[in-house]
Amino acid sequence: MTSGPHAFFTIDIGSATVAAALVARVDGRWRLLGAAAAPASVAVDALLGDLAARASAAEPDLLPDAAAWSDWARVESRTLPPPRLVLAGPSERAAEPLLRAFTSDGWETTAHVTPERSGALDAARALRDPDLDLVVVAAPEGLGRGERDALADLLALIGATAALRDGLAVLVAGPAAGTIPQLPSERVTRAHGAGDAAAIAREMVRARSDGRDAFVRAIASLAVLLDLRVEGVDVGLDASTRVLAGPDGVQRRLIRADAALVPPIALDDLAVLDRIMRWSPVADDAYVVRDRLRNLRLAPWRDAAGDGARLRLAAARAALAHLDAAWREEAREGRGGAGRSGRRRSDGMLATPDLLVASGGAFATAPGPAVALALTDTLRRPGAVAMALDHARILAPLGTLDDESDRRRLLADLLDDLLLPLGSAIVVPGLRPARKGNLRVTVEGSTTTLPLAPSAVQVVDLPPGLAATAELDAPDDLFVGTRARRVAFAVAGGIGGLLVDTREIPLRLPERPERRREHLDAWQRPLWTNADP
Amino acid sequence: MIAAADLARVPCRPAPLAEPRIRIGLGPGDEPLVAPGDAVAPGTPLVRRPRHPQVVGQALRGRAAPRAGTHFADGAPLVGDGRRALRFDGAGEVLYVTPAGTVRAVVARHHGVIVSPVNGAVESLDACALVVRGAGPAIPAALAVGAPSHGPLVIAVERPEAELHATQIDVRHAGAVLVAGSRIDIEGLTRARAMGVRGVITGGVIGGDMLALRASLDRQEASLQASPPFALLVLDGYGKRPVPAAAWEALTACGGEAVGLSITPPLVLFGPAAAVPRAEPGRVRVAAGPLLGRTGRIVGSSGLRRRAAGVYQECARVALDPIALPGGAELVDVPLADLERDG
Repeated sequence: MTSGPHAFFTIDIGSATVAAALVARVDGRWRLLGAAAAPASVAVDALLGDLAARASAAEPDLLPDAAAWSDWARVESRTLPPPRLVLAGPSERAAEPLLRAFTSDGWETTAHVTPERSGALDAARALRDPDLDLVVVAAPEGLGRGERDALADLLALIGATAALRDGLAVLVAGPAAGTIPQLPSERVTRAHGAGDAAAIAREMVRARSDGRDAFVRAIASLAVLLDLRVEGVDVGLDASTRVLAGPDGVQRRLIRADAALVPPIALDDLAVLDRIMRWSPVADDAYVVRDRLRNLRLAPWRDAAGDGARLRLAAARAALAHLDAAWREEAREGRGGAGRSGRRRSDGMLATPDLLVASGGAFATAPGPAVALALTDTLRRPGAVAMALDHARILAPLGTLDDESDRRRLLADLLDDLLLPLGSAIVVPGLRPARKGNLRVTVEGSTTTLPLAPSAVQVVDLPPGLAATAELDAPDDLFVGTRARRVAFAVAGGIGGLLVDTREIPLRLPERPERRREHLDAWQRPLWTNADP
Repeated sequence: MIAAADLARVPCRPAPLAEPRIRIGLGPGDEPLVAPGDAVAPGTPLVRRPRHPQVVGQALRGRAAPRAGTHFADGAPLVGDGRRALRFDGAGEVLYVTPAGTVRAVVARHHGVIVSPVNGAVESLDACALVVRGAGPAIPAALAVGAPSHGPLVIAVERPEAELHATQIDVRHAGAVLVAGSRIDIEGLTRARAMGVRGVITGGVIGGDMLALRASLDRQEASLQASPPFALLVLDGYGKRPVPAAAWEALTACGGEAVGLSITPPLVLFGPAAAVPRAEPGRVRVAAGPLLGRTGRIVGSSGLRRRAAGVYQECARVALDPIALPGGAELVDVPLADLERDG
């Protein structure tokens, strides 16, 4: 025991739930002693006191001053609902880059105002939304005459409306706009282009995205610490985050409000609910399932067992699939616009990382093997990947630490405790029905041969702590990160074992609901085996 | 014995509000009829709202530009005098003046009025919203659709878990706010509106019925004939869900008295003299699963329990209140996350 602080709490406050963990110094290093989560309406101190009491009861010598838990330091991250903006532009063409930049940065665009899309009445309505945080105006160079006239008209409307209300900030992206009539210059911020505008806007509402930015920083620190390519995904009630980092730092980050577990719009939009239901193996009347999903939006902590657990993971799958589609789209755009270096960068974005870390309340209560399959179903790339779960939701709080060396030191100490090994997945698409292959898995000198069937998921028991070599032997060349007939992967064990997945990329699901549910159930059932008490 | 630590980890249902704030969002063309500090009562006109608004423009032709946000009456001179005056055909509001010198305004020939659902005072007013501070207590709800409304409260079902069927609604309920139990379907809602009911309070609603009601209200709004305001307030969520026990006690205690319904935020508003019963300390309600709606008391912790689908959850041992026959309390283990207590 050191003379310095010997215990602290990490607290991750989300829109739906709050997660707390107790970290203490044991034998000269920081260890995770306990973690708990509760609905956000529960007082944090109730969780912290309970954690301290339990740890003290289990090991009285470990925390000699457990009664003083309320004085211990707290490392806290907080995530709020995404900021809201109205995006205005003189044409769709001019506004499009800004729409992409802000959508990828976690903003919720409440209205997209362009002459092609909306009239003055719709625009004025959108600008009077009391919950609006920002108005962004696209004013790029090279506008045509009609666009310049439309921009001047738009600025007059924005100026007149913003002047009627206090505090609404206006951000102008590009040099084409002059002064905004009726609006004092101190209420107008200027940016050069879409990327610059998104960065400035992020600073303007920094507190709103602190938890998500902190998760990104923590994944970057983890990648440096492990000297690996690490990808992190966090599915939250109001937005989802995906980040890819390597030893050189963050390579790509994406925050999408429309990839939330159940977006607010789902309460009224059947298309959004049906997008989630495509992933549901629950056989019930559609209107019942829709209402259960709506209730998942209203009270996400409830109904977390049985079919409720399956529906929660269906919603998480839909969010991850949406996030993945946006990720791939960005990669394609990078390839199209950035020449050879852009191609390399976009290929890197789509390549399989060494480690995939999942976080967020969406996975909090689900069994690990089911989480592993949800990740494999949605973030599909050929090759092998190790998967882990930030089960105590410690990463985001650690990401709030200002000092990078502090963060890495804590991560190094806590690594074995904070990441729950889910196992590994080997995704081998393109196996033809008549041409079967084999996978030989060697663990501690013992080899098991697994015949590979096309379009299937197989599970190899590989407990946490074990490492194995998996050798793929196929009759034809297959693309598994590299094109080969024979290739070997080093894989790590976990509570989900080794998933061997020969289904397509992207996963194709039957259109008929009954058939689709049968497929989903057949794939998922082995991972929920003997699950019902 | 109630385990205080376990009770503290049970999520709270939003507590009744002593001074609720009701927000009326304002759009282009909306004309506030009150000012900050004004006292309001149920039925006081708050906002004049255009029906079928349109944006029209008129060139300034050298006349002084009017200020954005200026309201004008049908045909009244906006700027200038006599024949040179700038007038619009219809009442409305100036939106902005274009760089080319055209005044663009939102105008309408017909208007509706949004009335106050509650006693209170206007707290704030700007171009985006009007906020009324209610003088009496309020119960928060989960969802609302329609327009702010008010009327005498009628408990139309005998128990919080009962359903209100369309055939149980008739002309006697005209002008009233009905408490409909655990669910009301779209037929019941349609009949309620046809009978002049001003609002329905329910524990749950089928999502499809809520969407159908919203579409119907939008169609009504688009028609030329204005209709009295109607609001649906859902206390607990989607599906069939009993009215939460504390809310049921508050509603039955105020039966026959005037109540208001707010849409933003969703609130049941009581009069200044109303006494909302205080929630019983230590009482919890099951908010999910087969025991939905049952109340009881936590008698201890059950620890981490393995539940259906292999999910592990912290559970509490709850002594459920007997439903019908008096006798010993039924003991069940319920996940803490599926319980709720009144905050």
